[in-house]
Amino acid sequence: MSLSDLLILLPQAFLLVWASLLLLVDLFISKERKVITAILGAAGLAITLGLTSGQWGSRATGFNQMVVVDNFSVFLSGLFTLAGLVAIVIAYDNMRRTGIHKTEFYSLLLFSVAGMMLMSAAADLIIVFLALELLSIPLYILAGLAVPRAGSAEGAIKYFLLGAFASGFVLYGTALIFGATQGTSLAGIMASIQSGTAELPLLVIGAALLLVGFSFKVAAVPFHMWTPDVYQGAPSPVTGFMSIGAKAAGFAALIRVFSLAFPSLAGQFAPIFAVLAGLTMVVGNVAAVSQVSIKRMLAYSSIAHAGYILMALVPLADPSVAANSTASALTYLVVYGITTLGAWAVISAVENADGGDTSVRDLSGLARQHPWLAAAMTFFMLSFTGIPPLAGFWGKFYLFRTAIEGGYTTLAIIGLLSSLVSAWYYLRVIVMMYFRESEAGASRAPSIQIAAILLALAVLVLGLFPSGLFQLALQALANGVS
Amino acid sequence: MNTIPMSYYLVLSAVMFTLGAIGVIIRRNPLVMFMSLELMFNAANLTFVAFSNAFGNANGQIFVFFVMVVAAAEVAVGLALIVAIFRTRHSIDIDLMNTLKN
Amino acid sequence: MILDQVIFLITAVVVLTAAILVVSVPKMIHAALWLILALAGIAVLFVLLQAPFFAVVQVIVYIGAIAVLVIFAVMLTRKAMQDDGPQLNRYSVLAAAVSLMLFAVLTGMLLSWDGANNLPVNPAVNPDTIVNLGESLTNPQGFLLPFEVASILLLAALVGAIYIGREHRAGKEEE
Repeated sequence: MSLSDLLILLPQAFLLVWASLLLLVDLFISKERKVITAILGAAGLAITLGLTSGQWGSRATGFNQMVVVDNFSVFLSGLFTLAGLVAIVIAYDNMRRTGIHKTEFYSLLLFSVAGMMLMSAAADLIIVFLALELLSIPLYILAGLAVPRAGSAEGAIKYFLLGAFASGFVLYGTALIFGATQGTSLAGIMASIQSGTAELPLLVIGAALLLVGFSFKVAAVPFHMWTPDVYQGAPSPVTGFMSIGAKAAGFAALIRVFSLAFPSLAGQFAPIFAVLAGLTMVVGNVAAVSQVSIKRMLAYSSIAHAGYILMALVPLADPSVAANSTASALTYLVVYGITTLGAWAVISAVENADGGDTSVRDLSGLARQHPWLAAAMTFFMLSFTGIPPLAGFWGKFYLFRTAIEGGYTTLAIIGLLSSLVSAWYYLRVIVMMYFRESEAGASRAPSIQIAAILLALAVLVLGLFPSGLFQLALQALANGVS
Repeated sequence: MNTIPMSYYLVLSAVMFTLGAIGVIIRRNPLVMFMSLELMFNAANLTFVAFSNAFGNANGQIFVFFVMVVAAAEVAVGLALIVAIFRTRHSIDIDLMNTLKN
Repeated sequence: MILDQVIFLITAVVVLTAAILVVSVPKMIHAALWLILALAGIAVLFVLLQAPFFAVVQVIVYIGAIAVLVIFAVMLTRKAMQDDGPQLNRYSVLAAAVSLMLFAVLTGMLLSWDGANNLPVNPAVNPDTIVNLGESLTNPQGFLLPFEVASILLLAALVGAIYIGREHRAGKEEE
């Protein structure tokens, strides 16, 4: 067995071994010292982050061309590990407060992160499918972590059934693509298309079924029905992690598959992507307006943000804007990830000890009791809306700009108008926090406060110096996906 | 020697996949939905083996092997969740699961 | 040769009937039994497609393990399912219409494929198929990576299923 193959996947392999060992080590940690498990889990993610960033700039394929490590996979792996780290910090306090501190959380989270990293490096549909399952199955369980609580189990079973439904579509799509091209490696599929040996009708249905499957994962309309229930039922730290992790992994697969394997089909799929993006932006934002629960509101908001990112996949067929638009999708994923993790961190701090639902009203008066949390939440809401100079503004700016460059001005206008709608429900949160009298209790744990403040600072800094992130995203595409 | 055209297998698997998808969408019972999911997975497996046979290429069959592993993993998690819900609520009707929503 | 076709047609009819009954019978336990018949039919088709090993695995894994687990779950929860009341959810008509459209598009495009009516080429049946399978699953230049990922997947599912299946008492933090 060649060592170079293993070295390519060193970060993922390390993380999986660490997660398995963590299961064992946890048995020897006494009940009062479970904080050690949390720290060990975070340490594993930090080391993985170091290992994966060491691969920046190189490009290598391994295991019979099944995985490819390039800047694209390193960029996204960094995002996944950071999201996992933040999730652990938020979860430790929240799970103790709501009485569901279960140490399986850490191992399952690590398994899920490893699955996401594998997804970003997948160069064969067999790995895409298995990585999809490896990231999803721990997430189903994490969504049901608070299992005696009715909402958690309900959310988990809905997530499970819809997730497996999506996997079914991915699987059948893969089967038809295998039939069309006699292979499942992305490079092989592309070669088969270019040499004209691919059976086009089969290929097109296969690709469409893959698109349906991944649309479920990223929660694009009309495949979004599960999102509000799952986001509301799952423990808040898990939701925060899921809202960026699962979405980014779904987009990673979409970008890899559609720009690497089917570049020639991208033109045919552009109208489909455009309709999906438009519908997702409008439905997500409009449905969010009427929500009472802040968890459901953020669920619809996450649907809307998936719509903005889908907009970047529309002009993939046009080589002059493809790089810019994919880079703007990556930029937006990072910006959205920071913001959503921050918002869920604040909700994790605010929610009642029974872990039940949290309404927007529950935030009223937060500014007086917990000025730092309220200030951080203000940053996140403004960034979600896209108010300059915060990061969210620049994320949307790049997305809308490439949409216009690609000739999809209508789509950009739809995005802009639906952003205006979104201002209403995001600003309502701020009004509640600052201009309503009430006793909003919240956790005073320093870890969660520091996490929220750091994330808010990141939103501000990325907003003040936006070009750095965008350049990084462009570089991420330079040696692989283009 | 094989005398059955590919299209027979493909249409059979397409029908099975659609039936499974209909089952997942219209039924309210999570267990029946789960059984319908198994139909969808089996339809995909049948397609893989049929193409594998047509191309004389074993890679499709190996895919079936992994699908079975995934199906086994999913059945464990899914049934654990269904039984856990039953234990707390004594009803597993997906439409009656309305603790969520406002 | 004709025998092949007869076996195929009978099996196909059985599989489809069973599949229709899985999604339509009101009693869960009946649906589970019909599912077993459908899975067995797929195993027969695997034999026709010269994949005898997978036919056996289909019987052992799908019928022997998965279907039996499903029946266990049915038994455990049957009190909750009085099998009365509407079996369909609110969107069933719309959903069925969408699914039928999906089916029409699928078959339409499948049949428009030029190769659809080709007879499969007769692959040289290799007596060492299972040996080849085993070797390719442990070969880094073959399918070692998916094999390892699948094993981790099973571990994660195992941990999760034990966690979820464990008795949870409200307010109890850690055992």
